[in-house]
Amino acid sequence: MAEVPAKLEKGGSWVTSRIDIGNDGITLKDPWNTSVSYRSIVDYQKRGQMVTMIVTMPDKTERTYKIASVDKVLTILTRKIIMACNAYRIMAHFMSPAIRGGVLVTDAKWEKGAIAVLKTGIWFVSQEKQISVPLKEVASLELTKRELQKKKLDVIKIDHLEGGEVVTSFILCPLSTLQVLYNFLRDATKDMDMKGSELDQLDAQTAQVAMLIYSGMDTKSIENMLNLPPEELNAVYETLLKLKLVDVVMVRKEVQLTPKGVRYITDALKPPS
Amino acid sequence: MGRILIVDDTLFMRTLLKNILSSGGHEIVGEAEDGDIGVNKYRELKPDLVTMDVVMPKMNGIEALKAIKSLDANAKVIMCTAVGQEQMVKLAIKSGARGYIVKPFQAPKVLEEIGNVLGA
Repeated sequence: MAEVPAKLEKGGSWVTSRIDIGNDGITLKDPWNTSVSYRSIVDYQKRGQMVTMIVTMPDKTERTYKIASVDKVLTILTRKIIMACNAYRIMAHFMSPAIRGGVLVTDAKWEKGAIAVLKTGIWFVSQEKQISVPLKEVASLELTKRELQKKKLDVIKIDHLEGGEVVTSFILCPLSTLQVLYNFLRDATKDMDMKGSELDQLDAQTAQVAMLIYSGMDTKSIENMLNLPPEELNAVYETLLKLKLVDVVMVRKEVQLTPKGVRYITDALKPPS
Repeated sequence: MGRILIVDDTLFMRTLLKNILSSGGHEIVGEAEDGDIGVNKYRELKPDLVTMDVVMPKMNGIEALKAIKSLDANAKVIMCTAVGQEQMVKLAIKSGARGYIVKPFQAPKVLEEIGNVLGA
């Protein structure tokens, strides 16, 4: 590919520049004026029209490069990097998204492509799709079976968060590879595992509250559905917070009128004289 | 907005669906805790849409779906099942289900799916 326009970040400033996407690496023009081999890239993230590459330098230190460009350029760059960067990578079939927010995606289909596990994310790259799942957004992993052409085949099921929605994706490849990939992903996301002592704190009521939060119910609806007084629900929330299963998004206040407030309301309700 | 019948053997799931669907402006015309009751209520209430659990003690959701479709070929039924039972999807779709919801689900997507099926 010839040189293409791009913006490059250095020291917090963006410079209008050019990049050259080659077969083995990328050349970054001003202000970097350097070449980066794809093999030295250990992490890669894409947010909108900007990508971030983490590169291991010859002295083993890491350097971060940020590039902004048009979709067409970033699509080509992403494909080159994911296929050649320093990552655990396999060729497999994937289906993403297969389920979104609990609703089956009816036109979901298996795609053949590469799956790469980098430092902070999993990438699925096929001819048609480029999907990244940040490891910190992976909610659960499971080795399960899925029917394909009337055969029940082993797959990895990944539940992950995408813009607040829970999305389910599947990976399909030969069982031996699948097991290695599963173990690799389990290891990369082991911080999410619940310990036995943590599970002991989750009684049936706490689990029901968690399920209702998952479904999008607000505090008032949960109180009504489970017939829980606010104090009890607060105690359940405290358990969930302690276990880092939820975050506080809003603190709602309960108030009562002061004498001044009572006077205001009384006056407001008087008929006009 | 539609008139909806909820068929599910667990009170918790029925209440959750009722809350979600009501918040989306739908009217819950009835609830049933088993497939056979669901079929009878369909005959009686003629809802615009049914949400149907798959695994129920007496008559399962697939049998109930078939029974409802034999009463009304145009019936709109969305199946609702737990994770791990996705293999029932093909059977359900073949039997005439218009959509499939996997538990646990999220309210906005459920409302979107219900809206799509009702609008179809």
